[in-house]
Amino acid sequence: MDKKLAVQIDDLTVAYNYKPVLWDIDLEIPEGVLMAIVGPNGAGKSTLIKATLGILKPIAGSVSIYGKPYNKQRSLVAYVPQKGSVDWDFPTTALDVVLMGTYGSLGWIKRPGLKEKKAALEALEKVGMLPFKDRQISQLSGGQQQRIFLARALVQDASIYFMDEPFQGVDATTEIAIINILKELRKAGKTVIVVHHDLQTVPEYFDWVTFLNVKKIATGPVKDIFNDDNLTKTYGINYKVSIQE
Amino acid sequence: MDIQEYFSLVFSDYTLRTITLGTAILGAVTGMLGSFAVLRKQSLLGDAISHAALPGIAIAFLITGAKDSNTLLIGALVSGLIGTFWIRGIVNKTHLKSDTALGLILSLFFGFGMLLLTFIQKQPNANQAGLDKYLFGQAATLVESDVWLMAIVTGICLFVLLLFWKEFKILLFDKDYAKTLGFNTKSIDILITSFIVLAIVLGLQTVGVVLMSAMLLAPAAAARQWTNSLSKMVFLAAIFGAFSGVFGTAISASQNNLSTGPVIVIVASVFVIFSFIFSPNRGLLFRQIRFIANRRDLELQKTLAFMYRIAETHENISHPHAIKILNNFQGFTRKTLQKLVDKNYVTLDGTMWSLTEKGFETASNLYNQQAINDE
Amino acid sequence: MNSAQIEIQLIASLVAIACAIPGTFLVLRKMAMISDAISHSILPGIVIGFFITQDLNSPLLILLAALTGVITVVLVERIQKTGLVKEDTAIGLVFPALFSIGVIMIAKNANDIHLDVDAVLLGELAFAPFDRLIISGIDVGPKSLWIIGSILMATIGLLIAFFKELKISTFDVGLAASLGFSPALIHYGLMTVASVTTVGAFDAVGAILVVALMIAPAASAYLLTTDLKKMLGLAIVFGVFSAISGYWLAHWLDASIAGSITTILGLLFLVIYLFAPSKGLIAVMYREKQQRTEVSLLTFLLHLKNHSEERERHVNHLQEHINWQKVRAKTVLDLALKNNMIVIDKKIVSLTEKGDEFTSLAIDYIITNEDAQIEDMKDDFFLFRG
Repeated sequence: MDKKLAVQIDDLTVAYNYKPVLWDIDLEIPEGVLMAIVGPNGAGKSTLIKATLGILKPIAGSVSIYGKPYNKQRSLVAYVPQKGSVDWDFPTTALDVVLMGTYGSLGWIKRPGLKEKKAALEALEKVGMLPFKDRQISQLSGGQQQRIFLARALVQDASIYFMDEPFQGVDATTEIAIINILKELRKAGKTVIVVHHDLQTVPEYFDWVTFLNVKKIATGPVKDIFNDDNLTKTYGINYKVSIQE
Repeated sequence: MDIQEYFSLVFSDYTLRTITLGTAILGAVTGMLGSFAVLRKQSLLGDAISHAALPGIAIAFLITGAKDSNTLLIGALVSGLIGTFWIRGIVNKTHLKSDTALGLILSLFFGFGMLLLTFIQKQPNANQAGLDKYLFGQAATLVESDVWLMAIVTGICLFVLLLFWKEFKILLFDKDYAKTLGFNTKSIDILITSFIVLAIVLGLQTVGVVLMSAMLLAPAAAARQWTNSLSKMVFLAAIFGAFSGVFGTAISASQNNLSTGPVIVIVASVFVIFSFIFSPNRGLLFRQIRFIANRRDLELQKTLAFMYRIAETHENISHPHAIKILNNFQGFTRKTLQKLVDKNYVTLDGTMWSLTEKGFETASNLYNQQAINDE
Repeated sequence: MNSAQIEIQLIASLVAIACAIPGTFLVLRKMAMISDAISHSILPGIVIGFFITQDLNSPLLILLAALTGVITVVLVERIQKTGLVKEDTAIGLVFPALFSIGVIMIAKNANDIHLDVDAVLLGELAFAPFDRLIISGIDVGPKSLWIIGSILMATIGLLIAFFKELKISTFDVGLAASLGFSPALIHYGLMTVASVTTVGAFDAVGAILVVALMIAPAASAYLLTTDLKKMLGLAIVFGVFSAISGYWLAHWLDASIAGSITTILGLLFLVIYLFAPSKGLIAVMYREKQQRTEVSLLTFLLHLKNHSEERERHVNHLQEHINWQKVRAKTVLDLALKNNMIVIDKKIVSLTEKGDEFTSLAIDYIITNEDAQIEDMKDDFFLFRG
């Protein structure tokens, strides 16, 4: 493949309380793919994203974004955390949350101005949430909250998007809306990496997939590697790790 | 002295003015910072910190022998911070849960402080250090320099709050996300915590270690009910805190034998109760009213839907039907029927009713909506 | 030692035991702060009770005050249920309000009521022996001794009678409910015992020390054992030990007995917090360091197993690619060599047969989520630990 590498992960190992969760992950994600990370519960899917983004400290390994370490390339990366990770009763509005996406480029102390507000409103428009911009976030449905999170990432105007279960607990309309936005991002040459639960929609939504269960099982184009063999390897009960020679 | 007298005196009487100003400023700063404590789910941290500050006061006195409140406050600050970080150490490094850690630090530090206080009182040169006032607070002992100190700290606090507003907000709402944006969450965290400790220590002389936590929580909990914006919440909490301080001082000054601290806490609690019940969006009263209204709407919709199903079977939607058939299902009363008439959905003619155009349309919309929701 | 001294120590010890029993369950149920709330909010109950009975030691007063304690718990739960504020904010709102009401009630009736807020909060054990219980002219001992003694008897009786229920409902609420024990009944029962104990003890040791005596011995015991019965036993021993040595500390310093007992409790907790064999700070930090090295070692072995190409197995790769600090890389390499897991040939690292077997087993355990097995396995394979 002659495409540039958006993300390169080398020998990444993460342990929670010294209980290993991710082992020796080598992963190369080419630019411009829409990739799903799939695997059973506790396989370390969210952990992989969090370690890649420096939220968790890995015990070994390195991550590079377009050939440079992550902390030098922050502006190229946007993150959509799991919806359940925040307190939705927090006193703030939808627009305010989306504006948080601009905080990174603003840096310390500087406040968002008109330019940032305009960007935030555009992002809200894109996810179809403009009419709800002044709503308190607890008064939004689960799908709407997820869209707000997506809008916040869109505002970051990044090259690579990491999303942790964006389809969890959302209604069908939102799911379609979100996947359309993700496909648009890909069309614009962005790289999108999504932790995904629903195996049935993988071939329809994504063009690239990574199978993960503590170790990387396989990674590549959906049409080549999304097959029974890899699925059993990832989800099978009496599964033994196959060592790729 | 009654309340009226108090308010006429407050501008002329030096002592009264000092105390009132002091409690007002204190209420404002604790209300402001309390909002952060409440939103971080660290409500009881304030209680632990205020108790943990006691041995610091005693040690500062033992070392310097000074009654000067600023010296004692530094002692309180140091031991409050030690308590705070020890709580974190216990939670992070052992399996003990956070509430056990809070309770431990609170009671152990307080007990140690009591040991020191009683020890000091038995010393010959104790010159009745007046350290007991830190237990329950004595607003009456506030002097102008204390109020100045409070005002300065509040000013600094306000300045830092405005300067790092954006950082505080994102840390409170979504810490992990703040990390990915490149913010050093640890230093923001330490900044907030230090200011909370500072505010608590500042209030010890006025309200005392036992009741200090209420000053932190009550205004914030009340303010949260009235607004859904963080800035308004912080602002309101400061106002509620300041008013609790002023009213509390006024009431306790106008009665005999009432120490200020408990009265301020009671006033703040009244703010909380009032807010819990009467706030228009979240309040219990309006919530109950909305609940009843919703149920009534539902009944109305049920009636309308039933009529729609009958009217549907006729070519002419306004074909009259007997009221009697409506009695066959639940949710129908004379009152709901009258409501439907009022809304122009239904016309009545003797014992017969018929759906209007408008009623038919509304009902069919109801149906469609339901169909969408069911999907 | 005169008889007053013995009586004080006896009262303090009984209070310590009476507190340690409910305290153990409060700590295990993550409700330690409730005891703090109760200890403050009983004040209005005590005042009202005092109006009625005019006797601080009357059983009616104890019941009334304990009732305020239970009301506090109910009130806190009610407020939590409205969802208007977050969990612990409710506790922080209720008890200062009730306490303030109590303080104001005392202040407003200062002439009729000889109650001192300081005394309620801090207690004065030294005076306890002076208030004697006299039954038909015979002095049978200090009143506080009888009160706390009866409370302790009742507590022990309830503990023995409902031990099984308490245990199950503490560790598995769902199971308890399915077995037909009402978790609510046990919950409120425990709250009642905690309230009664607090009220019974405040006179002697003060409300805040009650909190210390409930939480600190239980928390210390928690760091030493995982067995409920042992935890109860240890908590009682710690409580009594602190009560007696605290008394003598106070005697020596001529300071508050309650404060001294708490200080001993604090020192005891500090020592256990630092030195407890497996859950103490030093043990935890040592284990974390050891595990960090061992996890690094496993990572390293796994890496070797994954990669046959020599470039990936070069000694320098450890530093360059896996991104470890130089020191740690050396530690890991040494440990692996010492344990015969690897051989190094011309700076190329390869797994030995033993290393290969160890790694395969480790992978199996991790994938099947049987992490505990890895620890056992380490004992089998490792000659030297990290």
